[in-house]
Amino acid sequence: METLVTNPVIQDIITLARPALFNIYFALASIPLGFPLAILLALGKDSTNHLLSWFSRSFIYAFRGSPLFIQFFMFYSMSLALNPTVWKPWGLDWLMLNPLFIGPLVLVLNTSAYSAEIFYGALRAVPRGEVEAARAMGMGKWQVFRTAIWPNMLRLGWPAYTNEVVFLFHATALVYFTLPVINEQKDLMNKAGELFQKDYNVFLHYSVAAGYFLLISMIIFLLFNRIYRYLTRHTRTGRGIKLKPNYLR
Amino acid sequence: MLEFLTSILGDDPGGKLAYITNGKHLAWYASLRYTLIAAVAGAGLAVLFGLLGAGLKLSRITPLRWVGNLYTTMVRGIPDVLFLLFFPLAFEHLVEAVTARLKCTPEQLASSGWPPCPDAQWFLSSTEYLIMACVSFGIVYGAFAANVIYGAMIAVPKGQLEAAHAFGFSERQVFWHVRVRQMWVYALPGLSNVWLLLLKSTSLLSLLQITDIVAWAERLGTPNYLPMAGLVHPDWRWKYYLVLFVFYILMTLLSEKFFAWLQARASRGMLRADA
Repeated sequence: METLVTNPVIQDIITLARPALFNIYFALASIPLGFPLAILLALGKDSTNHLLSWFSRSFIYAFRGSPLFIQFFMFYSMSLALNPTVWKPWGLDWLMLNPLFIGPLVLVLNTSAYSAEIFYGALRAVPRGEVEAARAMGMGKWQVFRTAIWPNMLRLGWPAYTNEVVFLFHATALVYFTLPVINEQKDLMNKAGELFQKDYNVFLHYSVAAGYFLLISMIIFLLFNRIYRYLTRHTRTGRGIKLKPNYLR
Repeated sequence: MLEFLTSILGDDPGGKLAYITNGKHLAWYASLRYTLIAAVAGAGLAVLFGLLGAGLKLSRITPLRWVGNLYTTMVRGIPDVLFLLFFPLAFEHLVEAVTARLKCTPEQLASSGWPPCPDAQWFLSSTEYLIMACVSFGIVYGAFAANVIYGAMIAVPKGQLEAAHAFGFSERQVFWHVRVRQMWVYALPGLSNVWLLLLKSTSLLSLLQITDIVAWAERLGTPNYLPMAGLVHPDWRWKYYLVLFVFYILMTLLSEKFFAWLQARASRGMLRADA
């Protein structure tokens, strides 16, 4: 028992457990907002309204076409520049300069663009016949969407969306390279770097941090696979998503 | 027209022009070389590692297949920024460990500090960090490229391989002259995605102490209140980051155009479903 506690690997796993929660927080805070925004953007891109379509297209292109690293810097520095004239007088500076708010905000914008592209592709792949059948039955626009388009879109886009969520989780590693670190609010990369500065043991600390990333990525896969099984429960061939890196972000 | 120009440039266009062409700004534009070198060299290495990884994944020898699959799955589960930081630090550490064995006395080696003696310390310059950044990009995006190339190699029609065998080509000749040769067309769309990912990752170079475009943007944008140090301005960082934001979008646009052209060129004479 004594040796177990003094074992450097075990110690690192214990030290990095709390920082891992910050990565999980950033991912958990961005997914529930990023998902509906992505659906709206995907529908917007597919819309016949030119203005709406143009806006969605530009939004998706801009956020997929530029690095997240730059997006973090840009939004944080913009928020800083607005601070003396807007946030301070309105009493919002505690929120708008807080990494725990700005971080998820930028992540939401970023992931919604990537996910919107996925769901847009899925939307285009929805079987025409099902939509026509729904219309032929006299369903209204909303009913067609709810019964024919939405379930297909979700099911078709889900494997790629799972992949995107894993990438989003990895993207949380960038938050504290760009935003200020307040007190002990440190994520995995930050804490691993700090431990490295103390004893220069690069292999130990970064490997344990990598282990946490691998482990949580696997958990995301398993969770999303469960949902995928549920989404495809009516199809006999729904065997779940393969744990294979087939998709690119 | 003149009114339009003054509305954009303000009252003092000459001053603005002088400002954006001063020494520091020229250094900023010049620092673009780091980004471009890292992108191009990283992409070259990524294709190399990709071919190697795909070769391993296709291997008939089971342990080699395991190595290939381990390589591609591991990179998938770990963020690229971790590799980018880990690889140069690990390499530096290994080199220092070897030089310590050669240069330090046994008493120094027994001490717990690192490096054991000052002689073993290896100071890395921007150039060395850049080379290592290229290699880490090669390793990380090589894994993505390996998946793409593996898929493309499988997509090569079996009949062509069999035809080559029937003509008396050796195993090796079939692999290089038919499989790898034909694979590029199928791999191109996927490789274009890998390139776009890699291009965006080049923004991370400043994490390795390289004064790249991002580091310069930070320096130029920080508020200046000393007239001696140049133009007095408040916090302009957001403007500089906005420029980088637009720059990367334009690079993406340009890359997409290039790959579309390449794809059209590479698939000349190929049967397409929509043709």
